[in-house]
Amino acid sequence: MNDVDARLLRCFRVVFPNVAETDLRTASQDSMETWDSVATITLANVIEDEFHRPVDFERLDELTSFDRFREYLAETDAP
Amino acid sequence: MTEALEIIQKAPREGATFDVVLACGFTPLHLRTFLRAHLQQRFPSRPVNVSEGLYGDVPGTLVGAARQPVHAIALALEWPDLDPRLGFRSSGVWRAETELHETVDAALARLTDAILALLAHVRIAVSLPTTPLPPLFHTAGWQASTAELLLDEKLSAFAATLARRHGLSLVNLRRLDEESPPASRYDLRSDLLTGLPYTVAHADALAAALGRLLAPTAPKKGVITDLDDTLWDGILGDAGPEGVSWDLASHQHLHGLYQKMLAGLSEQGVLIGVASKNDPDLVDRVFQRPDLLLPRSRVFPLEVHWNAKSGSVARILDTWNIGADSVVFVDDSPMELAEVAAAHPGIQCLRFPKGDYTAGLAMLRELRDLAGKEYVSAEDALRAESIRQSTDFRRQATDGSATETFLAQANARIEADMYASSLGRCRPHGGVADDPRVLELVNKTNQFNLNGIRFTEADWQGRVVRPDAFTAVFSYDDKFGPLGKIAVMQGTRQGARLCIAAWVMSCRAFSRRIEHQCLKLLFERFEAAEIRFEFAPTPRNGPLQQFFADLTGQTPGGPFAITREQFAEHCPPLYHKVVASEEGE
Repeated sequence: MNDVDARLLRCFRVVFPNVAETDLRTASQDSMETWDSVATITLANVIEDEFHRPVDFERLDELTSFDRFREYLAETDAP
Repeated sequence: MTEALEIIQKAPREGATFDVVLACGFTPLHLRTFLRAHLQQRFPSRPVNVSEGLYGDVPGTLVGAARQPVHAIALALEWPDLDPRLGFRSSGVWRAETELHETVDAALARLTDAILALLAHVRIAVSLPTTPLPPLFHTAGWQASTAELLLDEKLSAFAATLARRHGLSLVNLRRLDEESPPASRYDLRSDLLTGLPYTVAHADALAAALGRLLAPTAPKKGVITDLDDTLWDGILGDAGPEGVSWDLASHQHLHGLYQKMLAGLSEQGVLIGVASKNDPDLVDRVFQRPDLLLPRSRVFPLEVHWNAKSGSVARILDTWNIGADSVVFVDDSPMELAEVAAAHPGIQCLRFPKGDYTAGLAMLRELRDLAGKEYVSAEDALRAESIRQSTDFRRQATDGSATETFLAQANARIEADMYASSLGRCRPHGGVADDPRVLELVNKTNQFNLNGIRFTEADWQGRVVRPDAFTAVFSYDDKFGPLGKIAVMQGTRQGARLCIAAWVMSCRAFSRRIEHQCLKLLFERFEAAEIRFEFAPTPRNGPLQQFFADLTGQTPGGPFAITREQFAEHCPPLYHKVVASEEGE
């Protein structure tokens, strides 16, 4: 697991404390009842804290899984 | 945000919950998270629940909250709650400015009605709008517009109406300006995309402010101050009584401000004592100076000698009969502060920053924050004088064989106010349930406290209005002066048996056999055969444990009961004149 994955997992763990770590890596809005729009916004804020960069709220609708967040972070990583 | 979520995750899962409704017209999101986290820090042993209300309908949320068993309400108003067109999310416009005022007047009237209807039930914390108004009005941004000033006027009148009511407190927006700079509060992106108008930092600051009001810290009860280079400038032994100063002319007005602060605190019921290494005769002469801003009558006791200050503080605490954690000690010497802090764990030590105006202002503000109280009661005005009288009383009352004579000649009078539905009438709100002094006494008293249980307003309301409940409030005065309301007993009546769930008595009232009279009155008034006490020993209720040991022959380890006969057998002679009144509807 690389550094970004580990930090992203830490963010997910804070927002979804009752979900097993193995499940968090495959988590998605469809697979988790507790992942609602409020959780998405909270995740975005926790990720902004952790990675010290803003999350584009216009794209929140796309950020529906752990993988999507990881892809978003890779895509928006400063060169 | 991460820290707030972690605090929430570590919250206890079991125990009596503290239930709060967050009433706001916007999407609460992080404000709710932060409010829960701040409250959780203030209630570490209770699970805190924060529920949200209806989007865009604050009055509706408040009306709904009245039907729920909640302990408190946090109300975060924003401009759209007064008129949706005052928000960035609205595309509506006004046909005329008068239309805005009519809408705002109607909204504030509706809010006032909804809030006042709730006040009998729960504690409410209110913040007025904290975000900037949209640039809607005709003036440039640097010029105040009539419309904006009129909005401020209406909000001020609304807030002033609410601030007079017990159980409601308002966030101090000037203090919030310091903690959350106005220009960094509003987040247009978040407002338009999620419905939360606040930046994360502002949501945190506002939640902290609301949390402080919903779960306030107990105010400090006393201030012990040094004299030289603290209450005044100069060393008295060197400069002499006329040489020490505290005025503008001598450029020492920081000391004058400190004196003025202590005088103000004293008038509001905070005890002021002196611990100084000094010559008592010289100190007496300074206290006779007419320009001293802290009158001698406001200070008791004065410990003035050359011995260690930790000993002085110990004697002052003993005279006041309060714990070190209820007191602030102010001195200019770091060494003296350290000596006192080491001897009295829990005491709050503040260094008087002689000559440093910035630090001086910060210290005065900290003192006000530590001792600030929501309201000032009649008992607060009596406190300092009654402590002085109690000292005289105790000195004379414990003078060996003269005790009985002394008590018999004290002209003691106890006024007992009984509230109980079983007395034939019941007044759920407006009597004992709403008297702030009663709950204050219950929640502040440590030494003569049946079990140390603290109550929120909602807990207390629920307890006193039960059909089988009774509450007795006792006031006392004697030839030494009045003590005001000094004891509260609360419990239930089941036939000839009374069950006492809460019993407290102010330490100022010790040594007068008031506790015996309280029990005697209950046995007589309710024709009780037995009284059961929901007693629990606490680290601080030693005086009550001793009272029970004297009464029963042993220190109880938990709940117990005494019969009328047992009490009569062990009750010493009582000399009080008793005046009893009963209340209900």
